[in-house]
Amino acid sequence: MEKIISFPHLGDYYIPISIFLERTTKLKVIPSPPITKKTIELGAKYSPDSVCVPFKYNLGNFIETLENGANILFTAGGGCRYRYYAEVTEVILRDLNYNFEFYKLFSGDYLNFREVYRLFKKINPKLSLYTFIHNAIYTILFIWQMDKIDKIIRKNIGFEKKKKQHITLKKEMLKKFKSTNSILKLILYYWKYKHLFKKIPIDKPKDCLKVGIIGELYTAMEPFSSYFLEKELANMNIEIKRYTNLSYLLWQKIWLKKHMLRTTKKYCKYTLGADGLDNVYRTIKLINKKYDGIIHTKPFGCTPEVGAIPIIQKICQENNMPILFFSYDVENSNEGMKTRLEAFHDLLKVRREHK
Amino acid sequence: MTKGYLGIDIGSISTKGVIIDAQNNILASTYLWTKGNPIQAVKEVLKDLQKQTKNQDIKIVSVGTTGSARKLIGTILKATIIKNEITAHAVGTLSRYPDVRTIIEIGGQDSKIILIRDGIVTDYAMNTLCAAGTGAFLSSQAKRLDVEVEDFGKIALTSKNPALIAARCTVFAESDLVHKAQIGYKKEDIIAGLCRSVALNYLNNVGKGKKILDPIIFQGGVSKNIGVVKAFEDILKTNVTTDEDGHLMGALGVAILAKKEKEINFSFDIMEGQFETSSINCGSCPNNCEIICVKEGNKLIDAWGNRCDRGKSNIKIEQKE
Amino acid sequence: MNHKIVGIPRALLYYYDKDLWIEFIKKLGHTPKISSFSNKKHLEEGQKLANDESCLSLKLFLGHINELKDECDMILVPRLFSIKKKEQVCTNFNCLYDLVNNLFDINIINYNIDLTEKESKLMAFLKLGEILGASYIKSYKAYKYAEKISLMKRKKLEQEQAEKLSTSKIKILLAGHPYNLYDELIGKPVCKFLSENEITILYSDRIDHTKIDEECKKLSTDIHWTHSKEVMASINYYQDKVDGIILLSSFPCGPDSLSNELISHKIKECPLITLIFEDLNSEVGVITRLESFIDILKTKKEKIYGKNN
Repeated sequence: MEKIISFPHLGDYYIPISIFLERTTKLKVIPSPPITKKTIELGAKYSPDSVCVPFKYNLGNFIETLENGANILFTAGGGCRYRYYAEVTEVILRDLNYNFEFYKLFSGDYLNFREVYRLFKKINPKLSLYTFIHNAIYTILFIWQMDKIDKIIRKNIGFEKKKKQHITLKKEMLKKFKSTNSILKLILYYWKYKHLFKKIPIDKPKDCLKVGIIGELYTAMEPFSSYFLEKELANMNIEIKRYTNLSYLLWQKIWLKKHMLRTTKKYCKYTLGADGLDNVYRTIKLINKKYDGIIHTKPFGCTPEVGAIPIIQKICQENNMPILFFSYDVENSNEGMKTRLEAFHDLLKVRREHK
Repeated sequence: MTKGYLGIDIGSISTKGVIIDAQNNILASTYLWTKGNPIQAVKEVLKDLQKQTKNQDIKIVSVGTTGSARKLIGTILKATIIKNEITAHAVGTLSRYPDVRTIIEIGGQDSKIILIRDGIVTDYAMNTLCAAGTGAFLSSQAKRLDVEVEDFGKIALTSKNPALIAARCTVFAESDLVHKAQIGYKKEDIIAGLCRSVALNYLNNVGKGKKILDPIIFQGGVSKNIGVVKAFEDILKTNVTTDEDGHLMGALGVAILAKKEKEINFSFDIMEGQFETSSINCGSCPNNCEIICVKEGNKLIDAWGNRCDRGKSNIKIEQKE
Repeated sequence: MNHKIVGIPRALLYYYDKDLWIEFIKKLGHTPKISSFSNKKHLEEGQKLANDESCLSLKLFLGHINELKDECDMILVPRLFSIKKKEQVCTNFNCLYDLVNNLFDINIINYNIDLTEKESKLMAFLKLGEILGASYIKSYKAYKYAEKISLMKRKKLEQEQAEKLSTSKIKILLAGHPYNLYDELIGKPVCKFLSENEITILYSDRIDHTKIDEECKKLSTDIHWTHSKEVMASINYYQDKVDGIILLSSFPCGPDSLSNELISHKIKECPLITLIFEDLNSEVGVITRLESFIDILKTKKEKIYGKNN
């Protein structure tokens, strides 16, 4: 039987991740089918009821990809409940009588290179340390550059003169990124496309509305799970700032801890678990940077965020900062979300007029 | 001839319509059940408004819609403005109570809080979870207790010892209610307990972390229930104002907003045609978005509901065929 | 040295470390003041303060703080992150201190155990002693003394539980976090009902603590919540020694949402029900479910008993 590797979705990150898996294991890699309503229905059906919604999405991804013939599954791990997703997922899938190998990329909260190398060496005994390091650097660079471009896109996409130019260019860029194995070329492509992105004609007023998105990582990074929140905001001509991305979680967060504790000293003495403190920190930063509003997204019942919310609310109240909370689960009404967003948009506009 | 501005608020339970003049005076108003058919409801609203204004020389020059079916009706009426109900409510209420600082609104399926400082909306929130503690919940409990929901408030006021009822979730509330009835609680105590739990539930969910300051206006269908009004006053330890026209504030607000838009020619006959809404399942991907199409006769007026652009082109193809 | 009244909320970590706290504070010459048993008032106040999506246990905890806030000089709210190597605790315990500090305007004393930052339990108590005005030597002695007493008490409970196993009555393992098992509004009604029906109750937190790592591993290798490991271990250890298992959980519990699922997949022989407590849900529903569960256990036992005869 041919070995096929697969893994669950997280925004556009499936592209660098599949390249990495492909080039290190030398096996066929097929990412899970794109997330649809069916994915989440499947996931919800076999998940425990009160688990946070990313688990349900991941499980749905796994079931769909297993049905497509995948037999080696990868999952990431991470902090909070993510760290325990893997074992429970595996038990559920085994009870559904699927046959597969299951690997967890890292067992602690952070990426550990030696651990990952050992894991891949097990899958592909021929893997040389050089190939592994080369591809690791390539992938990290890929992710980092993609995240940086995404930041530019979020700033400008709401104001493009011709619709869809950013999206089209990003697709083209990712294709180019994918086509090479050379790290140097990858960097060159980045510079080229960064230049191209800046040249896309936009019609952006100097005092446009600016909104920061904070909250839990999955709902921030997987657009399907937040009902394409960023797209909606862009349609309202709002500049978007989002802190959470893979670069942040994998290697930036760990360096920022001390700095964050210093900035949030007035409110927090310790970290609040998962990204709790990060979001308190971002709230303060967004207020200092004079953003117009904050949108906080999380899965329903997300423990660390629920713990941080009263603190965030307090800060916003003290500083008169509008904040909108979204709590996502399996069934959300798209209309309900739009109504809330529209009202939020009105509120921001009116506040601007009265400033 | 006076210029009139029409505002219609199409909610999930009821549909409201008002006509105002340039000074925001209500010239005509109407209120009826939506009964799951917004198009029919609006037809009746228009008919009623036309009847009321027959003898006055009024020309409607602008139309606004709000509420959950705002888009559908707005499309059909070719409304000058389509606004979400939160903004509409705030504008409507402010026109009557310029110094209001908190608006509590509990409707059929939604509840919301709007905070206003110096005449500007500064913060708002809507219920996140289920319909617990809204109008629909109260009516279903009234049925269970065999009491008319309109009498709820009066009965609640006679209670001296309100029962504690868990109303965070509709399912739990029902089982708790049955239990309390079985162990012999008086009906008025249970009803008063329900009213109290609606207020508590609201403050713990929608109102959490919000500074609720005087003056407070309480609106929406549930505000007609004096039991809940009293429960709010007891908990907040302050006066809570209700308005006879409280249910019209959304419609009033959107009419005021319509006033700012450019004028159009509007005739009450606009709804005479055969309007049909149908839903197509897109089918381009497993999302299978349900796309709502509004047709007048055979002509497609508008369509929405799709997550991506593939849906739109699908309809166009269908139209051509 | 100033004599202080130190408030201790009867919720969450109290049920793990109460003896340690009480003895430590007493030994340093202060008076611990423990809040009353959970009641509806605690819940109501907690609901007002906590985010709507917080778990029931956290809401109760905030209610307890609210009770104590005017009656003590200071309230003890520890912060935990990692209390065993490579393990963590529920994030609620990470943010508890800061949460209380932001919600209340009171004097809070705390200690912090975080092995990832090399903050050990002993260190934590030395620092706590310092806040209470004691020297390191005095704190060290007090800590050692308190530790001895709390260990002794736990040993006694573990022993009692071990003796219970020999009874011929129906035995049920009540598994869950101790702050739920022993809470007046959550676990107590269940215990009361079970005792009335002449059922021997075993508690998950009274398992022999030296067995935890080994027993837990047999059910789950990956679980990283120290407090959940205790529950897992007890379930694995007792599953063939009891007639049934009741899983108690407060809604919405993060760790339990996953660990309960794993347990229900792995425990196939022993009858098991999960009771989830949400805000003020009525006792009736819980009792109905318990009754039918006990009926099943009784019939099963009679059948086996019949065969033996």
